[in-house]
This record gives sequence, C-alpha cells and structure tokens, in this order.
Amino acid sequence: MMINLNMNENPYPPPENILKAAKRGFNNINRYSKLESSNSLKELIASYNNIPKERIILSPGSEFLLRETINIFSKDRKIIMINPTFFPALRHAVKSAKKIIKYKLPPPEFKLNQKMILGELYEPTLIIIDNPNNPTGKMLLDKSFVEKIVQNRNVLLLVDEAYYEFAKYTFIDLVEKYPNLAIARTMDKAFSLAGLRLGYFIAGEYFTRELSDFPKLLPTPTTFAAIEALKNHEYVSRNIKKIIEERKRVEDELKKLGIEVFPGEANFILIRCKTPNLAEKLIGKGIMIKDLSDDWLNGFYRISIGLPKENDTFLLEIGNIKTNYDPSIY
Amino acid sequence: MLKIGLIVNPISGMGGSVGLKGTDGDAYKKAVELGAKPVAPQRIESTLSLIKRNDIYLLVAPGSMGENYIKKLNFRYEVVGKIDENTSAEDVKRIARKMMERAIELLVFVGGDGTARDICNAIGTSIPVVAIPSGVKMFSSVFALSPYAAAEMINSYTDEFMEGEVLDIDEDAFRDNKLSARLYGYLKVPKTKLLLQRGKEPSATGKSETENKEEIAKYIVENMEKDTLYILGPGTTVKGITDKLNVEKTLLGVDSVYNKELVGEDLNEKGLIGSIKKYKKVKIVVTPIGGNGFIFGRGSKQITPNVLKLVGEGNIIIVSTAGKTSKLECLRVDTGDTEIDRMLRKSVKVITGYNEETVIEIK
Repeated sequence: MMINLNMNENPYPPPENILKAAKRGFNNINRYSKLESSNSLKELIASYNNIPKERIILSPGSEFLLRETINIFSKDRKIIMINPTFFPALRHAVKSAKKIIKYKLPPPEFKLNQKMILGELYEPTLIIIDNPNNPTGKMLLDKSFVEKIVQNRNVLLLVDEAYYEFAKYTFIDLVEKYPNLAIARTMDKAFSLAGLRLGYFIAGEYFTRELSDFPKLLPTPTTFAAIEALKNHEYVSRNIKKIIEERKRVEDELKKLGIEVFPGEANFILIRCKTPNLAEKLIGKGIMIKDLSDDWLNGFYRISIGLPKENDTFLLEIGNIKTNYDPSIY
Repeated sequence: MLKIGLIVNPISGMGGSVGLKGTDGDAYKKAVELGAKPVAPQRIESTLSLIKRNDIYLLVAPGSMGENYIKKLNFRYEVVGKIDENTSAEDVKRIARKMMERAIELLVFVGGDGTARDICNAIGTSIPVVAIPSGVKMFSSVFALSPYAAAEMINSYTDEFMEGEVLDIDEDAFRDNKLSARLYGYLKVPKTKLLLQRGKEPSATGKSETENKEEIAKYIVENMEKDTLYILGPGTTVKGITDKLNVEKTLLGVDSVYNKELVGEDLNEKGLIGSIKKYKKVKIVVTPIGGNGFIFGRGSKQITPNVLKLVGEGNIIIVSTAGKTSKLECLRVDTGDTEIDRMLRKSVKVITGYNEETVIEIK
C-alpha cells in the first residue's frame, strides 16, 4: 500500500455519521440532487463562516470556480498571480489570460513584493493569491495590503483559502464591504472530504453577478456528507490539532537529518534537498511526495502530513536515502 | 545496440584541489607541480559502474582518455584514434570527429567547460552528448548533475533532446579574479528532468520551448518602437527575434537592429558605444545565459558597464522562456562594476511569453 504524502489530503477519514450520510446520497442517484438540499448546505456554510447565504457559490471542488473566474474575468483584464501557487490554476491562467504577470516568490522567505503589485493596478486587473500559499505554506497577505488592493474597484481580488482551517486567518469579514473581493474555500482538506470534492466561494457582488449561472447542484452524496459534516464539525478541529502537532514533529526530525525545512501554516511541509531524484527514490520505498521541479525549482519537495505511522516510515526512508547519498558519486 | 563514443579529459578538474581555476594553457603544468591528482578517472569509473544496460557498444579514446577505465569492465568496445603522453584539446576535437564519422549515436565525455567547448567545436549539435562534470569552472548548462545522474541518463536514454549552453571563461583573467565568460555554442543533451546541472526545462504550460521562444519574439517584434536601436544579446531566445524579423543574427554575439533592419553585427564594446552615440533611443534585449540566471557578466561580456551606463537601466528588456524562468530562483548580474550591479539589483519584469511577464529579483 502506497503512502500518499503528495496531495495534501487529510490522513484522517471523516467520522462514521458522515460516511453514512454520503451513502444515503446514493439512494436516488438516478435523480439530480434537490435545490432544497443545496440551500440547506449553503445555510450551514453561511453559519459556519458567519456570513449571509447570498455570498456563497458552491462548486464540485474549488478548482472549477477558480477556472471559471479566470475564464470570465480574463477577457477584459490582466491577471496577476504568484509563482509558486496552486499550479493547475496558474497553468489555466497562462493559457486563457489576455495578459498575465507572475510574481516569483524568492526563497528562503518567499515574501510578496507588495509595493510592486500595488504599482501594477492602473488598469482592470484580476489578482489570484493563495493564503497560506501552496506549496510554501507561507501567509502572503495581511489585512492592510488586501484593503489597499480592493479599495481600487477596477481590481478584483480572489484569495484562495483552501488551508484556512489550518492557518486560521481569513479575509471573509471584508467581503460584505468590498464587492470586488472573493474567498475560495474547500471541504477537501480540513473536513476530510477530498473524494467528494466540495469547494465554495464567499464572494462579493462583482463575482456573484458574473457567476450567477454557475451550476447550483452538486452530487447528492457530496451534498449530504457536507451537510452532516457542517452540523457536527468538532472532528475537524480535533484532526487539525493532531496534524499540526505532527507537522511540528516531522519538521524537527527533518531538520535533525540536515534537510532544509521551510516552516508553513498548512497541512504540508516544504523542503529543499540536494539528493538527486529524491521523489523517485521514495516511490521505490512506497512513499509518494510532491516533486516541485516540474513547475518550479529543482530540489524543492512538498510533503503532506500523514498519519504518525506513515510519517515515521517517511522519516526512516528519507534518512536512509540521505545516509547512503555519496556526493562524490551522486 | 546503442553505439556510444567515450572521451575523458584526464587533466580536467586537477586545478581545483590546488587552488587554480582551470587547467587550460600552462596551468596544467603548474597544477602537476603543486601535486594535483587526476579527478576525471574516478568520475568516469563511477559512471561506468552504474550503467545497467547491456546493449552498448563503445568507441573509446585511447589510454588515459578512455581505454584505461574500460579495460576492467564488461563492455564491448574498440579504441579510436591515437594520442601522445600529454593530451591536448586537439586530441579531444580530433577523436570526437573521428567517432562521429564512425556513426556513434551518443557521445559521453568527462571534463569541464573547456572540454565542452572543444566537443562543441568538433560536433556541434549533430549528435547528443552526456557530459560528466569533472572540471573546476562549470558554467555551462550541459553537464549531468553527477556521475550517478550521467549513468541514469545513459540507462534511460531515449530520443528526446534539448539544447544546453556551452559557456567558457577566459581562464587567465579568471585566475586574476576577473570573470569574463562567453557563450560558445550549444550541445544537444538528453531531455531529463532532474539530472542536469542547472538544467533547462520545457514549459509546464504545454508549450514547447521553441513555441515559447516564437511567441516571445512575436511580442517583442510587435512592440518594437520606431527609430529605436535594439541591441540584441547572445542566446537562442534573443535569436528568435531576428528570426522573426528575417535578419541574420550571430547566435553567440551581440548585434543591433534599427527599424527592423540589421545595422550592427557581432559588436564589441567599442562598436556598441559607437552605435549608442549614433542613435538617440537605445534598448538592450538580453536573456539569462546558463542555468544560474546571469543576464550580464557571463555570456555577454560585450555589454560592459560602460555600455549599460549609456543605455540606462530603464531600457533593458529581459526575455526568457517560461520553463527556464520558473527554474530560476533569481536573475544575476556580475558586470565587474559594483555601482552598475547595485543599480541593476531589484525586481524586474521578464517577458516569458506573448503578453506574459514574470517578476523576478536580480541579485
């Protein structure tokens, strides 16, 4: 059985009551899900985030909404994104955008050049930034910077908060005030529902207006499971606590092995390791990690936090690989 | 059966341990006097011991240039050419050409930038190479990360290739702590993900490097201002611009274009300063050379601090493919003039596609 530490999934499955709810969703799969269920789900999301229900747009995974946002708004405005970021969205933006500017986050701090971004907002612009950032795990935005951006009504800002529950820092409270701000969220990560794909936007009016015809109905198992999860979400904070404790432990152990670790705020760790083909070598040991050289810099890897036992196996194998690494040959 | 040529530059890398910067010219004698030991044999022996495939037929250079390391191993091989006791750059070039005549499909060599330059001189991009690093300087982006990586490249050899830059520096100047490197040409290397030093990668957006260069060129040409002199630095990305304009460019040199016509060819500092004074509006177009992201100071030594001072930092256009740019932590400058370097060190926009820019720091 492979140990999957490459997709930033939650290693803890959701509780039994949520699985049962998902299974109930299979009873009528010859029918579309009901609008009432969709509305109930929106109400629960609204209450969970303390915002009006009208601000919510549901999506089968937040990636689809990200793509749709890029499709709609890139026609007559330039896009600003950062690199690294959630790479599927960046690739889509490069393909679709009329004009795109990518800001590289330089290691080791991975800080955003706020001044330069503010200087770019002289024409209609869509900015997409993930906070915390994937794969660095760093918080890139603060309230004052976000407000400086959205005070310019020619600019739309979409903040991807896929890892909000781990970092516990959000800009949701600004959405009512700024119609040009939207927040992307997902229940794939903290809520352990990756296999059901549930994403949503908490969006200001400029976004909701354009996205009003986005499909409203999700698969029934997804809707039922998400409703149950939001009704009883204590398991989420319990699991997050365990994951954050493990993240700290894995970070410390990796540092002891002499590996460069970049601490972050999500459910993964960014490392830099000079051992060539580290990801391939770990696959040989039954462990998958994310090799970031395909889209970004050589030698950088992202490791999702797994179960303690899985993390132990990973630490043991990466330790062995490092010990056997002979720089004069390799 | 894969027919591979093998050439080892036995003295490459000897300068490093005794504090010399390379073994070109008379430096080799000095390295030996200082007690330097050969490095290359260990590198090639490591690589050969890690080769797993058994469908290889080797054409090897004689003695210390190849044959000596293959004897103990189980490869089918024959020796090509003759050498004297003291090997030279001429031996490398002559034997490489001979091997090419014998229809090798791949050339494996051990050496540094000087050796890469000799190989480039002899075979160009006619056949692919696997370059095993043993040199001191290593500015070129053709080298495998390590002997292990070189063996992996041979083991997983396919028909997918890309071009790597061959850079070399003036060793005499380098030993006096003056760095002046230039782009000498390109070698064809296997397209492998993590196995090349400071490797160049295809773009992750589904576009090939060639398509990406074409769209950069299209963007630049469409936005060229009238009555402005464009000084075009070396490299294939910049060459894309002159290809688009249908004018000839010296790939490794610095040329200039005015109102889409070629007006200066292979210019040196003097030539550049002359043309800057002649034309009122001037812009420089450069691309990072080598995998470390140098835009000035390596690979384009003609564009000196004096040239940069005259043109001004606001008139520099940097172009680079998206794939190459995403692999760079930063851009670098090392013009030899600290004031100019300081002026250039900031975040800049690089044109990475048609209407696509990447903001990156210059260090």
